Amino acid sequence: MKCNKIVVMILVLALSFSMVGCNTATTQASGDIGEEKTQLVYASTKDIRDINPHTYSGEMAAQNMVFESLVINTDEGVKPWLAENWEISEDGKTYTFKLREDVKFTDGEVFNAAAAKMNIDAVMNNFERHAWLELVNQIDHVDIIDDFTIDLVLKNAYYPTLSELALTRPFRFISPNSFIDGNTKEGVNGYIGTGPWVLSEHKENQYAIFTANESYWGEKAKLNAVKWQVMPDHQTILLALEKGEIDLLFGADGDMVDLDSFKALEDRGKYVTVMSEPIASRAILLNSNKEITGDIKVREALQYAIDKEGIAEGILNGSESVADTVLSPTVAYCNVDLEKRSYDIDKASKLLDAAGWTLGNDGYRYKDGAKMEITIYYNSDNSQERMISEYMQDNLKNAGVNLKIVGEEKQAFLDRQKTGDFDLQYSLSWGIPYDPQSYVSSWRIPAHGDYQAQVGLEKKAWLDEMIGNVMIETDENTRQEMYNEILTYIHDASVYIPLTYSRTKAVYEPSLRGVGFNTSQYEIPFENMYFQQ
Amino acid sequence: MRNYIIRRILFIIPILIGITFISFLLINLNTSDPAEVALRVNEITPTDEAVAAMREELGLDKPFFERYIIWLGNSLRFDFGNSYINNKSVSDEMLSALPATLYLAAIALIMILGISIVAGILCAIFEDSIGDKIIRGIIFVGTAMPNFWVGLLLMWLFAVKLDLFPTSGMSGFSSVILPAATLSLSYISIYTRLIRNNMIQNKNENYVLYTRIRGLKNWAVTKHIFRNSIQSSITALGMSIPKLIAGTVIVENIFAWPGIGRLCVSAIFNRDYPIIQAYIVMMALLFVVCNLIVDIISASLDPRIRRTT
Repeated sequence: MKCNKIVVMILVLALSFSMVGCNTATTQASGDIGEEKTQLVYASTKDIRDINPHTYSGEMAAQNMVFESLVINTDEGVKPWLAENWEISEDGKTYTFKLREDVKFTDGEVFNAAAAKMNIDAVMNNFERHAWLELVNQIDHVDIIDDFTIDLVLKNAYYPTLSELALTRPFRFISPNSFIDGNTKEGVNGYIGTGPWVLSEHKENQYAIFTANESYWGEKAKLNAVKWQVMPDHQTILLALEKGEIDLLFGADGDMVDLDSFKALEDRGKYVTVMSEPIASRAILLNSNKEITGDIKVREALQYAIDKEGIAEGILNGSESVADTVLSPTVAYCNVDLEKRSYDIDKASKLLDAAGWTLGNDGYRYKDGAKMEITIYYNSDNSQERMISEYMQDNLKNAGVNLKIVGEEKQAFLDRQKTGDFDLQYSLSWGIPYDPQSYVSSWRIPAHGDYQAQVGLEKKAWLDEMIGNVMIETDENTRQEMYNEILTYIHDASVYIPLTYSRTKAVYEPSLRGVGFNTSQYEIPFENMYFQQ
Repeated sequence: MRNYIIRRILFIIPILIGITFISFLLINLNTSDPAEVALRVNEITPTDEAVAAMREELGLDKPFFERYIIWLGNSLRFDFGNSYINNKSVSDEMLSALPATLYLAAIALIMILGISIVAGILCAIFEDSIGDKIIRGIIFVGTAMPNFWVGLLLMWLFAVKLDLFPTSGMSGFSSVILPAATLSLSYISIYTRLIRNNMIQNKNENYVLYTRIRGLKNWAVTKHIFRNSIQSSITALGMSIPKLIAGTVIVENIFAWPGIGRLCVSAIFNRDYPIIQAYIVMMALLFVVCNLIVDIISASLDPRIRRTT
């Protein structure tokens, strides 16, 4: 009797479950099995949002799919793109661009000198928003020479002009028909570009579909479409990858795939995992405007007290290479001969002794009765930074320094960066092609942590002036000399503890081919990708 | 009864004013300057001039109370300003995300009702049988497991291993099952237990004995017991509905469900204050209204409540 009761109960429960679950149809992952797939599904934690190329609220990788620039940054330097060629006047202030004549926006509008000027003018009309980019401060005006030739006239001979024109934003071109009242700063009424992809569908916070531009002037995309699938949770992304719902993960600095997952996926061997060349530098800022870290001997000692090898191998799973300088020698103008400072606890101790910090009985150093205690702040969302901090805490304890670790919400972390209220803080360079010029240029802006960390330096005024000058130096050799001086000074001043050089990572299913990296870590070259069993 | 309802509705007004004031105050107590946040989310370097211009644009240069009154006045017209992130109307953003959340909550509610009533009744009828113990065991575990973990487990089992549902996203009816199941699990546990215990209590009441003496069939007796046992569940359910809607935050993130929970989470991460404020007001309104409805239903069922309140 009792057995019957149980059976009845189980049956009824099962029935109620199945009633709720009725009508469910299994949905199949992207593409059909057996046929060659022509649509790639890319998972991103973020929606593409507003991809107006002249503003900053959209995802750069999506902006890059639709909108193009006059020139592009490549590993071999700047190359022609929408401009066939260019000439630079002798004084370095006028750039004459000859535009391609076979380029059309996807609404049929011709890309010509008028459209180019209209776009650059729209960017300049929103000057304040682009003030971070020195080129915007340097552009005087644009002249139309003929239907397919423009002159870009600068105030000074600003040397990074071409590479900054090639950035993903803001100097990209949108169809004049998309402008609202001749401008783009208040928004646009369509996302019509000249690029290899057309944004054909966008469901906010769900997905976006980019289809191949059939009338593209250059080499057409190999896939028919790319679906940009929004998945805010990392674990969901990994499960969706396992299920085959998505084909590609792509990103830098743990924003799309964290190092642990990357390593786990690599070890499983079911997917292809690749990493780009080093693209940006991860470093610790030492605040020269704070009492303890204001002493150059202390800052120098800290350079020797941190075991970077241990961080690169132990915490970052060997996915990043150890950095000896704040900018990698592979970055333009940064191959400067600088003293390498590796983990050497004895040297660190000697330097701290010399700075007057003597070891107490409790294993920590003291000076005038005050304990050697410094604080590092990190963004609490970033578990990697927490682990690096804990590792450094142990390193520093061996040198008699008490490192306090404070994880803060991103906004509070950024506020602290701006006000300079930190001893140590994390810093990530902007990566090529922003390094070195745009990144170094930002050292002069008080809202950046770099500025705050440097402000206590004796020669900060000189440094800022030097940075301003190097940007408009026309002679290549002199420019290199100036960079040497800047980088040597900042290296000797020990404001940065360079940790590692970060890389962009991609994980994808084996039938996907042609996955590579653009010069900028923020772009994804979907147009080269295709499926092949 | 009419007087009672009018009195209760009038009572809502000071509550809502209090809630809006506290939420406005709390957000203003935040150390981050909204003007700076608004600049930073658009990746504009917050120089002093830019911050000053943005303060003026957002009306932050006005005194606190003036800002509050303006904001409250606008809120009454359902105008919560524009998002700092994309400059779109907050009301539009909320309204476009709300249907997804309501859909999810509705399916979850159906699951809660369907499963907890059936399981509750069965457990009560077969009190202390092995089946009862198994169900109670499952309930115990269900209540203890955190949402995000249950969500991932269900996703792994039903979407990846058994391939019955998509992992995430909103695409057809099959996609709502896993998030709704995750959302409903802890509630199912609560209501099954509530119904079971009430029914067991009622089983020993005199009226049950009399119905049995009258010769009623078993199912008819159970029907009587059930009716008398669900009153407390109805009250609890009234308050669970707003909780369900507000509780979608984690589930929506895991299952990439485009509802207001996700909107709110991304607003919190980006410090998009207008959206956070609107979300708080909407949720407060939802709780207050649901509470009112429950009270009115209870009062209509039980005259004693009308007199004492």
